[in-house]
Amino acid sequence: MSWLSRLTPRGPEGRSSRNVAPSSPCTADPETCLMVFENHWRQVSWVLEQQDPSSSSDDLTAVRNHTDQMLCLLAEERPGECEGPPGAVTSGNVPPIGPILDLVVSENVLERVVQWHLRRGLDPDSQGALLKLFEMLIGQSQQPLLQHKAVLQPLLGLLGACAEPQLGCPPSLENSLVLLLNQICVSMARAPAVLELLFRSAPAQHGPTNLLIFSLLVPFIHRDGAIGQQARDALLLVMATSASNQGVARYIAENSYFCPVLATGLSALYSSLPRKIEVRGDDWHALRREDWMGVSSLVLFMNSLEFCNAVIQVAHPLVRRQLVDYVHNGFLVPVMGPALHKSSVDEMIASTTYLDLFLRSVTETSLLKAFLRFILMHRHDNDTILDTLLTRISSNSRLCMVSLSLFRTLLSLNCEDLMLQLVLRYLLPCTHVMLSQRRAIRDTDLYGKSADKFLSLIPDCCRLSTATSAEREEEPALWGKVLNSPSSESPVHHKPSTPSRLALFMRQQSTGGGPCTPSPTETIPSSPGAGPNTPLSPDSPMHPVPEGLDWESGYLEYLRDARRGVELCSWACRNWSAPYDGEDPSPNTAPLPPPPPTSNPSLAMFPEHFSFQQGGGGGGSTSPGQQRAAVVAAARSEWSSTERDSGEWDVTIGENSCISLTPRTKKRSLQREDVHLPKPLHLPPDSASLPDPSAVPHLRSAPTKGAQQAIINGTLLGGQGDRCRDSQDGGMEVKKVKRELGEQRHPAGGDSSQNGEVSACPAPAQSCGSLQGFYSEGNGSGAAESSRGLPPHKPSHTQTPSASLLSEPRTNSSNDRLTLRAAASSPGSGPPEAMLFNQSEAVERLISELLDGAGPGEGGQQGPGDSNGQGISIEAFTQELRELEDRVRERSKGVGLFRQLEETTRDPHSGEPPPPSPLDADLMGSGVVAGVVGVLRPLGQPSTQPYTGPFMVVLFAKLENMLQNSLYVNILLTGILGQLACYPQPLLRSFLLNTNMVFQPSVKSLIQVLGSVKGRIETFAASHEDFPAMLKKAQRYLAARGKVDWADSPMGMPTLRRSDSLVKSRKPSLGDLILRHTNSPTRARHAAQLALAHVRDGGQSLHSALFRGGSGVSGLEKQAEALRVKNAVYCAVIFSEFLKELAALAQEHAVSMPFLQRHDTEE
Amino acid sequence: MNLNPFWSMSTNTGRKRSDCEEQSGEQQQQRASPARPSFGKKQLPSIPKNAVPITKPASPAATAQLANGTHASYGPFYLEYSLLAEFTLVIKQKLPGIYVQPSYKSALMWFGVIFIRHGLYQDGVFKFTVYIPDNYPDGECPRVVFDIPVFHPLVDPVSGELDVRRAFTKWSSVPHGLFLQLDSDTALRNHNHIWQVLMYARTVFYKINTMEPLNPEAAVLYDKDVQLFKSKVIDSVKLCNSHLFDQPKMDDPYAISFSSWNPAIHDEAKERMFSHKRRPEDHHKGLQVSGLSWVKPGSTQPFSKDDNPPLS
Repeated sequence: MSWLSRLTPRGPEGRSSRNVAPSSPCTADPETCLMVFENHWRQVSWVLEQQDPSSSSDDLTAVRNHTDQMLCLLAEERPGECEGPPGAVTSGNVPPIGPILDLVVSENVLERVVQWHLRRGLDPDSQGALLKLFEMLIGQSQQPLLQHKAVLQPLLGLLGACAEPQLGCPPSLENSLVLLLNQICVSMARAPAVLELLFRSAPAQHGPTNLLIFSLLVPFIHRDGAIGQQARDALLLVMATSASNQGVARYIAENSYFCPVLATGLSALYSSLPRKIEVRGDDWHALRREDWMGVSSLVLFMNSLEFCNAVIQVAHPLVRRQLVDYVHNGFLVPVMGPALHKSSVDEMIASTTYLDLFLRSVTETSLLKAFLRFILMHRHDNDTILDTLLTRISSNSRLCMVSLSLFRTLLSLNCEDLMLQLVLRYLLPCTHVMLSQRRAIRDTDLYGKSADKFLSLIPDCCRLSTATSAEREEEPALWGKVLNSPSSESPVHHKPSTPSRLALFMRQQSTGGGPCTPSPTETIPSSPGAGPNTPLSPDSPMHPVPEGLDWESGYLEYLRDARRGVELCSWACRNWSAPYDGEDPSPNTAPLPPPPPTSNPSLAMFPEHFSFQQGGGGGGSTSPGQQRAAVVAAARSEWSSTERDSGEWDVTIGENSCISLTPRTKKRSLQREDVHLPKPLHLPPDSASLPDPSAVPHLRSAPTKGAQQAIINGTLLGGQGDRCRDSQDGGMEVKKVKRELGEQRHPAGGDSSQNGEVSACPAPAQSCGSLQGFYSEGNGSGAAESSRGLPPHKPSHTQTPSASLLSEPRTNSSNDRLTLRAAASSPGSGPPEAMLFNQSEAVERLISELLDGAGPGEGGQQGPGDSNGQGISIEAFTQELRELEDRVRERSKGVGLFRQLEETTRDPHSGEPPPPSPLDADLMGSGVVAGVVGVLRPLGQPSTQPYTGPFMVVLFAKLENMLQNSLYVNILLTGILGQLACYPQPLLRSFLLNTNMVFQPSVKSLIQVLGSVKGRIETFAASHEDFPAMLKKAQRYLAARGKVDWADSPMGMPTLRRSDSLVKSRKPSLGDLILRHTNSPTRARHAAQLALAHVRDGGQSLHSALFRGGSGVSGLEKQAEALRVKNAVYCAVIFSEFLKELAALAQEHAVSMPFLQRHDTEE
Repeated sequence: MNLNPFWSMSTNTGRKRSDCEEQSGEQQQQRASPARPSFGKKQLPSIPKNAVPITKPASPAATAQLANGTHASYGPFYLEYSLLAEFTLVIKQKLPGIYVQPSYKSALMWFGVIFIRHGLYQDGVFKFTVYIPDNYPDGECPRVVFDIPVFHPLVDPVSGELDVRRAFTKWSSVPHGLFLQLDSDTALRNHNHIWQVLMYARTVFYKINTMEPLNPEAAVLYDKDVQLFKSKVIDSVKLCNSHLFDQPKMDDPYAISFSSWNPAIHDEAKERMFSHKRRPEDHHKGLQVSGLSWVKPGSTQPFSKDDNPPLS
């Protein structure tokens, strides 16, 4: 929407409406009016001519009354017969003016009145009266007034008085002043020449502020409410009017504070935004309009931001450029930069969310450019903002979700610069593919081989349920129409029953998917898909949801979506500077991408173990074998220490890239340490299993520094080893060590930090073991294999929730936070909410089915995201925890019990706070992958190692860990990958979608990751008898959700520019809406209930069988298991859909036509 | 000329085709193809009035078995898309003077027309049909059959079939000189494409080959008596062109048919053809902001373009 177009109608309207009343009495007779006017003027001028400075209040009253009358008459006077074009001031074609105006001009009436007032000293009362008078006059006048000096001068005199420091404008008059200024600007917008007059005829004494109206308006830019809006509207009119006036533009840019005030005002407003966004609903990940409409500080900020955007849209290039610079240098760099690097997770979440919102709200290219430039180029403590944001993806909290959401927004811009930095620059040298394969980069999936490969990865256990419905739904529509015999006239033999139904297929696409039925009479070639009779876009949520279980509505839908995605993306990229096809830009001249950063924690959460290993191989003093043993020991020790703590690790990265790992629980419990047993003190003395977290730095420092620095992928090298070593004994020192590490760039720092830090799981031990096998294999496919070995252990990684549980109570005390409750989103969603209630009956039933045996889940109403709602108190929890620990320690004698132990210890934690937990459960894969990458690198080829960049690495890591990710993370994650796969650039396309590509062994391919996930899902399914039933229920639940949400959709999306501001990650039928209704009571309740569903789910779990005898743990344990099962089952659903999506994308790429470059003329 | 507008607008022609016969003339191209809705934007083909939609007979099971590969239910998609992709490739190749259009009834049958612009066969307009084996891409090379047997050494004087096989002795085989064994599938299959067959069909008229002819008479004449050969060719071209306006040989709504120039119909179509700019299906203004790039061509540095691009 154009702000300006919204503005312009306003003037005339307001005017005409106000015209009605006063104009009636006087329309009668111009002559009479003139006589009346003259009469008033005589009396006024009599008063004015008294030179007595101390005129009485009677005089004042008299003058005021007469002036009122006179100005009313003036305002109502109609101009004479117009011979020239109206408004042509500078030329000689001024329309004849009315007699009253003529008199006003010749006698300089207004000037004398105003001067009289000024001379006798302007009291607020008469100042207000004058402001109102002029406002009325200018707003209602029937003829243009401002081009007459006799009107303009006194007006400027009055305004000048308002601008004077000693008089100024009392707050009570601000409304009148702004209204008057607004009126002036409206008139000016109608007669642009007035601007020049205003500009030139400024009283000399005002010097630099010679565009008075402007400098008067600027202070109101960021005001709240109507007055701010009027001021902004007025300013915008000035901007638009001055867009072609170099002089005024220069004045604004050089002599006014407009741009700095506007831009730095953003900074001020930003600082008053809530630092914590408190949401219920575990799926929340982005601010929608209805979310922030209720938060006044955000509204203020967004108003100003939108105003900036509008100014940039209409203003003169000079002003535009200056404003953009100020936004960059005055807001983004000094405010947004540090905000994004705040140390508390809540603040990181908030700032990331805000940045996402801002990016979605900005429409002007040059402003977007400033934002992107900031994100891509600005370095904060040596890291670009992009680097920092990338690290957040690997976190395992809501921070991950909001970061994913931000990246989704970024990707939707289809910005070449961004894609270059994120992915393409790493692929440009083509070192990730075998040399002989480079020519294949441009190949598309001509014969469906890649698609077939993707589809083949759908686990068999997930096919069961689709088979039935596929038969029912798809077959008749798609497969049924086999061509019997193509054409009898065919002179050449044609086998009957050929499966070729291209044309048929084309036809059915539209019918197969719903309402998208282009009319046969469609004649507009360019708008085929959505014909005139199909107002809905193909992916519109309004798609009729087929009845029944067909949420997996089939491949056609995916093809359609894929086509649309590919088409839009390649259209958007048509003006990129290069095709990125492996030849242009040339791989040989492409600059080497930055190596895996050593200081950037994003790539490796705990790859130290592996890089450590490699470092040994690279020339360490110890033999590789020994080191490997040491690594294993380290990993194990870490593991065992994990038993005591919740198994979470905070990775703190100091300035010098030294990483310290701190068990999360430790940190959380710092303040309670004197009360409870400080965890580190429990450590078994046994050195083989160093329990202390600080042991990790210690171990890491064991190899020589030189070796460490040689590590390619090593995230954590550098000279910090010594310092780290200092911390090796005694976990009590952990805190201190962290301080020593200096200014912590990474947010994990303070005690206050919560669950969102980049945290490392104790998984290394497992992955290490498998990695070793893998390592010896030494080829790429091994990666998948090795990770396939992981699934059995995986469950242990769901521990994280405890972190959020424990941290939440504390954070609740924070003062400023934004609470998004169901009600908070009400502005736009009230009705949908209601609908949801109405329609939720079926859903309700499904849910109860899903949760059968879960007991009355009403306790869950409390909003799962809110730990306050949990029934279990922290005290009780801690108690239980300690008991558990004790038990665990007893068992921990045998190494073989490790796994078991781990589960025991963790599950109690994880069982606690169900809803946030799913989000937390997914961190570890990244570390594994990074480790894998590091290990896989052949030694001795340091800098040319293929490296696909942190973005791909972190996404793949996250993906590999899909089974533990929450549903919502998976939806976002697969959505982003799907989005990436839409990009037509052969480099990217081949990397993601060409399953036949042979990559360098050290490069993990998407297909490998997917294969690994498949393996895990199958392992999981095999270990759960009722997997099919659960799968079915999950599908039904998601389908039901989708329906409920679709019912809301008529309310429309937030009016942000990019309508997909909400993530539509999966199929509309699946994902779109799961995320849409973030505060859905249904979902909240569902999640809460699921948390209590342990009774049923726990019964089948393997580990609970192991611990059947256990007394107090069972509840928590089962909850954890339930959560784990839930995540895994949803993952299986999402995974299958994702594969279909990828397959469809591969196919659509093969049939998509490129758009021609740069023919933007018609835009 | 730009093929995009061409293909897109032709949908329209396709629709009209049934009532009004289209014709030929100078601007043959545009009527050469009725709708090919598929490529690119894959719009729903308009259904000619006389086209009888195929009803759904066969059982799903039967179809599924036809699928190539492990995932039977998706198999048909692969064939459909392979052909669609082949067709896309044809369009991308912008073969001079050749136009094809898959049939309405079967994607394995493409109608085509070839315009010979110089050489012995100058001014020839030959309609042909491409038959793609239904085990494509594993089968043999597609066959090209001219509607009217052109007098040509490589064209069967009776059936009108062009000897394609000689040029593609091993369809889909590894091209000589290439030893890409890394991935057999990609390497093996990516070589031969239907557009090459079409290209070959065109080349044949410019470079006459008399080896192992299907039409020995033509071959002998070409070798022994070029003048006579030439006059026979001219006769053949005339014959073909005289049948240009005939009803298509095959009763298929997408069969290529010619009609004489009718300004009422064709001017507008031509106009649209030339002015059309392809856009994404549901492209709307909201997308304008996307597709940003400040990368200077030739550079791989972000924001390397001139900082202050010309402002509007």
